[in-house]
Amino acid sequence: MAASPTSSGALNRGDRLFGVKLTAPAGVILAVLLLIPTVLTILYSLHDVPANGRSLGPFVGLENYTIVLGSSVFWRSAWVTFVFSVGFVIFSTLFGLGMAILLNQRFVGRGLARALLIIPWATPWLVIGILWKWFADGSVGGLNAVLLMLGATTDYYDFMADPNSALVLTIIAAVWRQASFAGILLLAGLQTLPEDLNEAASLDGAGVFQRFRNITLPWLKPALVTVTVLNIIYAFLQFDVIFAMTQGGPGDATQVLSILIYRQLFGVTQIGLGSALAVILGFIALAGGLLTVKLLYRAERQSA
Amino acid sequence: MSDIALTRTSRRRGKAATAAGLQRSTTATVILYLCVAVFAVWILLPVWYLVVSSLITPTQLGVKPFPMIPSSITFDNYLSVLTGATGSKGFGSTDMGARLIPAIGQSFFVSSVLVILNLFIAGIAAYGLSRYPFTGSRGFELAIIVSRVVPAIAIIGPFFVAFRVVGILNTPWALIISYNVFTLPLAIMILKNYFDQMPREIEEAAKIDGASRLQTLWIIIVPIARPGLVAAGVLIFLESWSEFFYSLVLTNQLTVPPLLAGFQSVQQFNWNSLAAATVMSMIPPVVLVVIFQRHVVGALTAGAVK
Repeated sequence: MAASPTSSGALNRGDRLFGVKLTAPAGVILAVLLLIPTVLTILYSLHDVPANGRSLGPFVGLENYTIVLGSSVFWRSAWVTFVFSVGFVIFSTLFGLGMAILLNQRFVGRGLARALLIIPWATPWLVIGILWKWFADGSVGGLNAVLLMLGATTDYYDFMADPNSALVLTIIAAVWRQASFAGILLLAGLQTLPEDLNEAASLDGAGVFQRFRNITLPWLKPALVTVTVLNIIYAFLQFDVIFAMTQGGPGDATQVLSILIYRQLFGVTQIGLGSALAVILGFIALAGGLLTVKLLYRAERQSA
Repeated sequence: MSDIALTRTSRRRGKAATAAGLQRSTTATVILYLCVAVFAVWILLPVWYLVVSSLITPTQLGVKPFPMIPSSITFDNYLSVLTGATGSKGFGSTDMGARLIPAIGQSFFVSSVLVILNLFIAGIAAYGLSRYPFTGSRGFELAIIVSRVVPAIAIIGPFFVAFRVVGILNTPWALIISYNVFTLPLAIMILKNYFDQMPREIEEAAKIDGASRLQTLWIIIVPIARPGLVAAGVLIFLESWSEFFYSLVLTNQLTVPPLLAGFQSVQQFNWNSLAAATVMSMIPPVVLVVIFQRHVVGALTAGAVK
């Protein structure tokens, strides 16, 4: 930063003040809209807030947190969130990498294929949920029709009524979108890879897999770190797809934390408990993101 | 001039392609095209199912297995949704389908107002952060990145209470205000990155010619930065168009996504009509992204990898 020609040292006072003035409107808006509600939610989480939300109610300290952390519903939901997130992150990243490598090859119709890659990303999350809910439907769904035609199944199956397949399908639906996002970013990374690097390596006798491990992967590292971190955050905060597909059901099979919080806040209006849960979820997302950055960069330093 | 240069490079690339194509073994080519086919099916199968569902009658839909290639198609589902004749009554007496067109209008309104407001506010902020960094500007950028992990659900409660007090619940203004939480950081990140990559020579020349800082910004920078502004604008539009959660809580199905979710919960609203409504809700974002593909992908990459 300090080496850039416009580091603050090189600017006079008037210039810096001009920078402050230009940034001020955005700064004020974000402070009001992000900071104040966040602080309020943290305050809510420390009080026994009445259901109408008109006042904070009596201060209860960390009681909401102890209730949350002591309840089996929370741990069950945390486990579902974990399973969903692991599946979501691994498959989004891997499929994205696969699609990026595929669309970086030369073949007839590549331009069209790259346009296809963008469609899932441009589709609203909620629409993806609706689309996959019906695609997997037990009576009018297309998935059943395809599996039947392929001979993989003999009869229609109600995937969304089965706790296990419902969770798997919410993961698939979310991956359908997020793999495209990862693919777009990773493909852009691949396109900046200098071709001479690969040519030189193949002249030296490096095979496809060697070139992938020693040239492509290190080159994609920064993009892969970004994609993985974003995927982790998206995973923990996912709401729309699950809301549209199962609303947390059947039973609590797909009740991730964001759905649980929604039910606490707007279903049973437990504002204090819901807020404590929301604070916990925010910390998990932050910790997950930071931890990934750290782990991935350490791995890079070791391999370098 | 540049056209000729372009053709030349593409011709050279074409030759390189054939050379590489010759190098590729037949097996590798077969595997490659198989992978392409799998990729196309993965993306298109659900979309195809959706489009077919919107073009067939409920009777055809009831047939097992689902007619992936229907024998006949109809536009009745679109007509019934557009004219509000889906035969499904909500809690009131009006047809649920009649709410789609107004919701599309509201979605367009909210998204367009946000694009204009955010391009201006984020634009000047990003320019300030890029060219006139001040004490704490780095911290501000970091805060913007970290704001991505704040769950919408963690801040919706205070919004709800505040908007009820002010009396703007269930109006587009509730959304125009609250969406800033995610659209403004996104726009600042993308535009800051864009300005960082723009050469400074022109601004320095303008400064020597005696242009003030503001004049330089309006007369010199805005026209040059147009591609970046377009990309940021498209992304803001997409995010606002797709937003579901705030709209679900702060309005009574005012915009398209919560309305679609509402359609799902109405028993009489059949999948054919819902599919038609869903296809219509997908058209604006997909068309926008396909038109501005290059701009958007560039901005997305720069903004995210940062």
